[in-house]
Order: sequence, then structure tokens, then C-alpha cells
Amino acid sequence: MAEVTAAAPTVHMRGDGWRMAARGIGQLLITFGVVILLFVVYELWGTNFYTQGQQNQLEDSIHHGWNGGGPDITQTNVKNVPLGSGIAVLRIPRFGKNYHMVIVEGTGYEDLKRGPGHYPGTALPGQVGNFAVAGHRTTYLAPFNKIDTIRRGDAIVLETKSKWLVYRVQDVPAGRGYPAVPFHEIVDPTDVQVAFAVPDQSNPDKKPKLRLLTFTSCNPKYSATQRFVVHAELEKVQPKNDGPPAALTAGG
Amino acid sequence: MYVWIWRRLPGGLPGKLVGSLVLLAGALALLFFIVFPYAERRLPFQDITVDPQPTPRPTVTVSAAP
Repeated sequence: MAEVTAAAPTVHMRGDGWRMAARGIGQLLITFGVVILLFVVYELWGTNFYTQGQQNQLEDSIHHGWNGGGPDITQTNVKNVPLGSGIAVLRIPRFGKNYHMVIVEGTGYEDLKRGPGHYPGTALPGQVGNFAVAGHRTTYLAPFNKIDTIRRGDAIVLETKSKWLVYRVQDVPAGRGYPAVPFHEIVDPTDVQVAFAVPDQSNPDKKPKLRLLTFTSCNPKYSATQRFVVHAELEKVQPKNDGPPAALTAGG
Repeated sequence: MYVWIWRRLPGGLPGKLVGSLVLLAGALALLFFIVFPYAERRLPFQDITVDPQPTPRPTVTVSAAP
């Protein structure tokens, strides 16, 4: 730019108006493109910082509750859990040794920005029914980014005040009032029955017998047209005093 | 547009550079803290829950959290 003006001191010539207009439009379009790219940066990278900050706070407060007089979530009535509070610490060995997220109560937009969210009204960890949790597949630390890598037989571990709960990803066979529930399914966004106490049938109030866990996330990645669902069943409960469960300590 | 701004920034070359950086930082802050969060809510990327349309489950609160 500087060279051009230096070489041509009489800048204002006929046709400059068109040239300026074209340049102005060009710059606007480039700016618009850069803004869109920045939005992608914000979504995929910037949002992580918010969630990490929230997770750190949740972790502090959940440990504070465990060490102090906080309630034992496995013994709590689901109606008494305040929205936005930390419920349990989630670990999934398949997602790596360092993976841990505090699950928050609530699946509202703001709740899910803070971490994976527990569907209010569904069972709490370790309880009979279906502990249903929604989590982002992309953005906001993407707790369920690799949900599609979960396989039959994988462990899903919840840490609560006094217990370790180990859920095992598996198909629930038909019988005992349950329909056959596959360990993973891809459903429409309105298919709420995946989170019912007895999943995959039409009655939300059907009395459950099993202790299940259900994850929902979006599918395909970066889209919201379907939901990716994983089911697991409680396999083992062990006191915190016994140390972390084998699912966490065993290699891989 | 940018030429127009550049010409109006005071303080010679150092002043113009500092002024440009301040404006750029301001624009980025506006985008990241106000425009993008606002835009995100209006885009469907964040839908990850299963939700019935007529909400048969009364306990479900839909994005009304603080």
C-alpha cells in the first residue's frame, strides 16, 4: 500500500470510486470469512476453557461435600438434588487414564456447558432404574467425544462419597419386564424412551428392576440430527476404603 | 475500510500500530464474549439430549438454568 501511494502521488483519478467500492466489498467479505473461522475456533477450542474452569469448581465443591457433611448421592432421593450441583466423578478407562469429569445435575443448556449432565428425575448412581446422562460430543471439553469408541464389556466408573460404582457396557437381554436393550443405539432426538427407567419401551413409569446407566450424545459428530446412546449395567459396588476398582487400575 | 481506519489512527506509525492492536483486541473480545455465545444459542450444535416435544416428563427443565 505504501509503495503504491508513493509511486502515484495523485491518487484521486476517475474510476477510483468503483475501485474503492470493490475493495470495500472485498474487505468486508474477507472479514466475514475470518469471523466465521473465529467462530469455529471459539466453538472447538475457546469453549473448553469455560468448561475446564467450571469442572475445577465442581471438583472442589464435590470433594468438599465428600469430606464434610455432604449427602451420599447413592442414598439420596432424586428429588432432593439441586440443579447444577456435582453428582459424581465419571471415569471411563476407554477414554484414557486421565479422563475424569464431574457429572452435574440437569441437562439444560447451561448445565451441559459445565460438564456431562444427569437427566433430572432419572435414577441416581447405583440406584435401581436408569442413571441417564447427556454430554457434549464436541465443544465444551467434549466429555463424550469418543463415545463411538465404547465397546461391549467396557467399564464406566463412578466415584461417589463413599463408594466406587462400576458399570459394565453390555446388552440387556429381553426378559424380567425388559425389552432387549442393545449396548449402543442411534436414535432420533425425540426418542426419550432410551432414558426411561426401563429403556426402549413406551411406558416411562414402568417399574425398573435393574440398575442401568445410559449416555446420550449427538450423532453424527458436529451434527444434531440423531443421538448416540450407550447403555451399561451396574456390575460392582465397592467401598472407597478398598481403593479404586480393578477397572481403573488394571492396564488399559 | 481498513485503510480508512488506519488513516484516522493518531500517533504516527507506533501510535497507529498500538491503536490497531487495541481495536483488534476489542473486536475479538466483542466476538468471543458477546457475539459468539449469542450466536451459539441460536444454532443447533448444542442439542445432545433426548427431548420429547410435548414434555411428558414434568421434572425436565429445558435450558432455564441460571
